[in-house]
Amino acid sequence: MKTMINLTVNGTKHEAAVEPNRTLVDFLRYDLELTGTKKGCDMGECGSCTVILNGKPVNSCLVLAVQANGSEIMTIEGLKTAEGLHPLQKAFVEKGAIQCGFCSPGMILAANNLLQKTPTPTEEEIRTALSGNLCRCTGYQKIIEAVMSVDKQDIP
Amino acid sequence: MLLPKFEFHEPETLKEAAAILSGIGEPTSILAGGTDLLVNMKKGKASPRHLVSLGRVRELKKTARDGESLRIGACVTVAELREEREIKDDFDGLFRGAGLLGSPLIRNLATVGGNIVTARPAADLPPPLIAYGATIELVKDNGERILSLEDFIKGPGETSIEPGEILSGIILREPPLYSGGGYVKLGMRKALEISLVNVATFFALDGPSGPIQKARVVLGSVGPTPIRSLRAEEILTGERPDEALFEKAGEAAANDAKPIDDFRASAEYRSEMVKLLTRKALKQAYEEAKLREWRRWK
Repeated sequence: MKTMINLTVNGTKHEAAVEPNRTLVDFLRYDLELTGTKKGCDMGECGSCTVILNGKPVNSCLVLAVQANGSEIMTIEGLKTAEGLHPLQKAFVEKGAIQCGFCSPGMILAANNLLQKTPTPTEEEIRTALSGNLCRCTGYQKIIEAVMSVDKQDIP
Repeated sequence: MLLPKFEFHEPETLKEAAAILSGIGEPTSILAGGTDLLVNMKKGKASPRHLVSLGRVRELKKTARDGESLRIGACVTVAELREEREIKDDFDGLFRGAGLLGSPLIRNLATVGGNIVTARPAADLPPPLIAYGATIELVKDNGERILSLEDFIKGPGETSIEPGEILSGIILREPPLYSGGGYVKLGMRKALEISLVNVATFFALDGPSGPIQKARVVLGSVGPTPIRSLRAEEILTGERPDEALFEKAGEAAANDAKPIDDFRASAEYRSEMVKLLTRKALKQAYEEAKLREWRRWK
């Protein structure tokens, strides 16, 4: 039986009827057509489905859409600024931190969450904050460099 | 992978949750953080007809001081546990364990209660909780009971929880004046890792430099449940803490471990690592004891 849910995604309110077994990642991708959030392992291991749920980064494959009723969600689509790409996104492009790009939405959201709390993180803090997001292309180094290169003044 | 279909229940109070649980006659699972249950359901290892979510039960999400005890709500997330002042200041072994569980993303969902009731032999929270002598509260429709965590975990995935019961809280007594705890986990990688071996320790000293009055050494991932190493505890009790004593305790702990060979590590290797990890975790406990004393004077 479908249940009605109300939630805010990237500042926009949504009302939808969902089956209880609909995961949040599938709800975002298939019902809201926000395909920036990726689905990789679907087991909470790869982090490609990372979204910010009530201010905290989580694996959206491990949350039911019904559990997100009443919550506030940010996906990668919500990160862009009026001037275009977010400084973190720019840094990822400039530093070569994107190769295939599959991990990038999750990486960038997790990194942004860290920078919101810790504007000038150490390398170790960055590595810990991103330790739930797997990348099979870059070897991580360029991702770390990209996050370190962001000037905290530029973060909106 | 699709989740099988189920009926979803979302009570708002513990009482309501217990009533729903006792009223359903079909296979039911309790959903807390979902980091274990939803994965098992996707893999087809669990197929409950009903899910009772505890996500809206606010009373389960609080940590509160109650006299000399600290009561942690079962649905406090692992990340929230690490934010608690008391955990940071007085329960370093637990603080470390919580920081090594899963990944930051998992820690934002996974709950303290979930890490207990799933009873995985390699879980990160039960060993330090047992080292600190934690007790747990189980609530059901017509009553509640309190028992020690050590007695609750029975085997891999098995606990003494009864149908209809909900783990509602974890109670820790404030550690005595001169005491400290530690936790060391060995895995192949730093995040998203299941322990090959983990060891939690706790001891209380008679005065600033000893002797040790009471000690607990708990070994994880080297038996079907976390194991208290009574031999190591006996060696420590009554002695002054130092490197040589910790080494002896490590040797004794290896004798109490019951590791198995599997694809992740051999029993022999695990046994050797019990020695090393016990020594390190005891050193951590001593450091914490000194640090807590220093903080008191400051």
